[in-house]
Parts: sequence; structure tokens; C-alpha cells
Amino acid sequence: MNLNIRYYFIFIIFFSSFVYAEKGLGKILRSVIIENGFKSPEYMYINEHENLAPEGEIFFKSNHLSLNGSISCATCHIPSKGSSDGIPNAAGVRGLGEGRERLLSGAKIVPRNTLALWGVGSKDFNTFFWDGRVDFGSIKIISQFGSQIPSHDPLITAVHLPVVEIRETLEEDDFVLAHKQESLSGAKSVYKAIVKNLITHEQEAIKNLASKMGVEIKDIKFLDIATSIAAFIRAEFKIKNTRLNNFVKRKEELTKKELRGGLIFYGKGNCISCHSGPNFTNQKFYTVAFPQLGFGKNGFGIDYGRYNATFNPKDLYKFRTPSLYNLSKTSPYSHSGSVSKIEDAVRAHYDPLSLIKISDYSDLQRHQFYKYLARNDAVNKVNFLTQDEVDLVVEFLGTLDFD
Amino acid sequence: MKNKTLLVLNILATVCCIGLGYKFLLKPLMAETIYATEYKQLMFQCDNVMRDHMIAKNRVKHEKTAEAIHDLKASELGLVSCHEYDKLRKVMLAWGLTAEELSYIGLEAIEENANDLIQYVETHEFKY
Repeated sequence: MNLNIRYYFIFIIFFSSFVYAEKGLGKILRSVIIENGFKSPEYMYINEHENLAPEGEIFFKSNHLSLNGSISCATCHIPSKGSSDGIPNAAGVRGLGEGRERLLSGAKIVPRNTLALWGVGSKDFNTFFWDGRVDFGSIKIISQFGSQIPSHDPLITAVHLPVVEIRETLEEDDFVLAHKQESLSGAKSVYKAIVKNLITHEQEAIKNLASKMGVEIKDIKFLDIATSIAAFIRAEFKIKNTRLNNFVKRKEELTKKELRGGLIFYGKGNCISCHSGPNFTNQKFYTVAFPQLGFGKNGFGIDYGRYNATFNPKDLYKFRTPSLYNLSKTSPYSHSGSVSKIEDAVRAHYDPLSLIKISDYSDLQRHQFYKYLARNDAVNKVNFLTQDEVDLVVEFLGTLDFD
Repeated sequence: MKNKTLLVLNILATVCCIGLGYKFLLKPLMAETIYATEYKQLMFQCDNVMRDHMIAKNRVKHEKTAEAIHDLKASELGLVSCHEYDKLRKVMLAWGLTAEELSYIGLEAIEENANDLIQYVETHEFKY
């Protein structure tokens, strides 16, 4: 055989084995993704009250949902900012505008990063807020309402909370102070006042809601308002088709980088030990020693996370695993929004000290940080990754983005 | 005689004004200037031992082990550290600061890191 032809054959064999190997890796990745609970967007979408979504949208965007604070759900859940607000800690009452502008205008700071809403109404999504103060996933349902939960739908129950949160949507005026109790019965007067506010200012939407629900306007309750808002959230922030879905369900190819990133995500990185299931969150609570930004839920730059909801010391510094859909649009990351790049958010899981300037801390702050670090779950789960591997994981996470 | 009386009254009024100004304006201002930083630090330390005590108490509710009970007793004793904070609080009250003014300084301490947040937002551009 001519030498050139021989080289040509060797090249063809080498190239085909490479292509075959890539396809083989794709096949492996596909099966691991399915094994770890991946579901298509069509499967995940549920919306029992979809017909109430138009009214829900009006209430979601209405400042009158706030009894005295001139703020709406849409103030912090902004579509152009990935259904979050683009700032590390939420900017509550007394501010002007949205996001950065609102924070710098002197708004009261709500010391947690606003969670994006993508997929929160999906099938089996049952744990809400960073500290899971609405948790329908545990054996015992946890919520601030104790045994008097307003609804067995976790999203509807979750919608009940921000509107009675002081700083977030409520100013601490005389009326609020008089009804300041952490129980459904205590909050009932505030809910009644909010409904009255909406009946006065959102007449058309209330009229339509009453007609769709077959009740008189005077009989509308906050539960009905919350049901319509939940219906809107489910419809507006549903998971849509992603490149990963096309890869898994329609056998489309990923780029070489995305494929390798996926193998690290499901393999060496072990990201899947927490970011599993249809929403890429197992909805459980872990400590990842992200830097703390802002004064924190417990003041003095401390945030005890889940402990604030359960008062169980085992839950100190734990936060709910967030979903990974549309991640590139929801910067900054972590419970206090202290990291602005996805790369840094990944790094915080296995090398948290690389993100912290410890010399800026006071002695006592340093001591607090050691306590936080000592409870770190992430470093025991996630392996060390090189910068290239982190970049590949970020490439893979991009396949979960959608418009 | 009349001039002398007026002079004495003037002096008395001036002394009274200075006294009142000292008591209600200067002394509280001095107290705030001298003690505010120390007050914030002591408050953080007291808050720290109080939180530790609460955590130890909650731990005993979940696990009644000898170790948990021992830690609770230790944390109860640890609350003694709040004495310094209490003492300084009383000194500042005696210097004329009101309870509301002290609460405000306390709030400033609790939310001190809010300034870091503002600084962070001012210097970072977030990618959406």
C-alpha cells in the first residue's frame, strides 16, 4: 500500500475513534443525567389555577400588595434580571426604583439575596426561601404558620410570607406594630387590610378574580389573591426548553466543552450530590462557606440560615440548595449575594478561603467565620477542581439557560 | 445696686445656660464620641455570648446528652461577659444619652456591615 494512503487510513481510524469516543461520552452523560432525576419542562409544569394568572400578574406588579410600603413582588423579581433583582441583598421599603438604584436610594435592606423564581411552581418544588421557612418536603411541614397552614400548595403558602415581612414589604407603623405576631391568626388582620387595599386600588382585577372564583367581592380573601399570584408565578417563571433538554430528550449534541463540563458536574465535581432532581436542587440544606455580605439575618454580619427557621443547632449556617436554571442571568450568587461570578460561586464550594480577605475581619468576626467554616458541608462533597475544570462546569451550566 | 443685681442675674443665667448645655448637649455628645465604638464592640461580644447561650439551650432541647448540658451551663456562665456591656450602657445613660439614642447606636452596630454592601454594590457591575 502506498505510504500516503496508509497515513490517510491511520488518520481516518484515529479521527473516527475520537468521534466515537465523544459520542460514547455523550451517551454516558445522557444516562447519568436521566439517572439523577432530569425531567423535561413539559413534565415539570403544573398550574391548577392557570385561569387566575392574569389577575395574579396585576397583584404581583401592584404596589398596593404592600400595605404601607410602596413595593410589589415585581420590585425584586425583575424579568430583565433573571427574575431576581441583580443586587446582593434585597432592597425593601423606603426605596425608589429597582435593584441597584433602589438600594442606593436608601431602601431598608432585607439581608438576603433575592432568589430567582424559575421553576418554583414546578411539580415537587416544595421548599421555599433560603432557610426553608416554608418546607413541605420534610416529614413534618415547617412554616411560620405552625399547624394553621393557609394552603396545602407550598407556593401559595410561600406567597403569604413576603407581604407580612417588616422591612421587605411592610413599614413598622402603629397598625403593623399592633399586629406583629408570627402566626396566621396574628397576621390575619394584616391580610384583611391588604385585601381591602387591593379592593380599593385594583378594582378591575378584584372584580375579575371574584367572578372567576364565583364569590362576592366582599368575600375575597388573601388566600384567593395568593392563589392567583401563585398561578401567575407558575405560568410566567416556568422552566422552558433548554439546550440540555434538547441533548437529553432530542439527542442533540453539546459542544465538546459543555460535554466535558457535564462529566465534571456529574463526576469528579460531585455537584450532583446536592444539585440533583428536576430543578437541579435536592431542596435540602447545606453549609457552603460563601463570604457573608451585609449585616446578615442575625446582625453583626452573621446569618445562621436554616437555624432561624428550626432553632435546631444542627441547622446552623445551612441554606437551601438553589436551583441552577438560568444561572447566568441571576448574578450575584449565594445567600448574601457575595460573589458576582459563577466561577467564584463554584470555587466557594471547595476553596472558600480563596474568596475571603481575612485580614479585613475583626478578631471576633474571624472567630465567627471559623465556626461557619467548621460546619462546612461542601468541601466534604465537592472535589478540588482546576481553573479549566471550573470553566468547563460553567460552560455546562450554560446549557440550563433559556429565554 | 440695680446694676449689680442685673449682673448677678446675668451671671446666674449664663451659668445655668452653660450648665444645661453641658448636661443636655455637651455631655451626651462627649459620651457618644468617647464610648460609641467601645459600646458597639461590647454589644457585639454580648450578643455573641447570648447567641451561644440560645444555641446551647436549643441543643439541649434536641439532644439531652451530658455534653450538651455541660455546654449549656458553660454558656450560662458566659453571659457574665454582658456585665461590661451593661456597665457601659449605664455610664452612657448617666452621661445623658437617652435609651432611644443608645438603641440607635446599637442598631448601627448590628447593621454596620450594610456599609460594606453599599460599597460592594457601588464598585461592582453585575452581569445579567
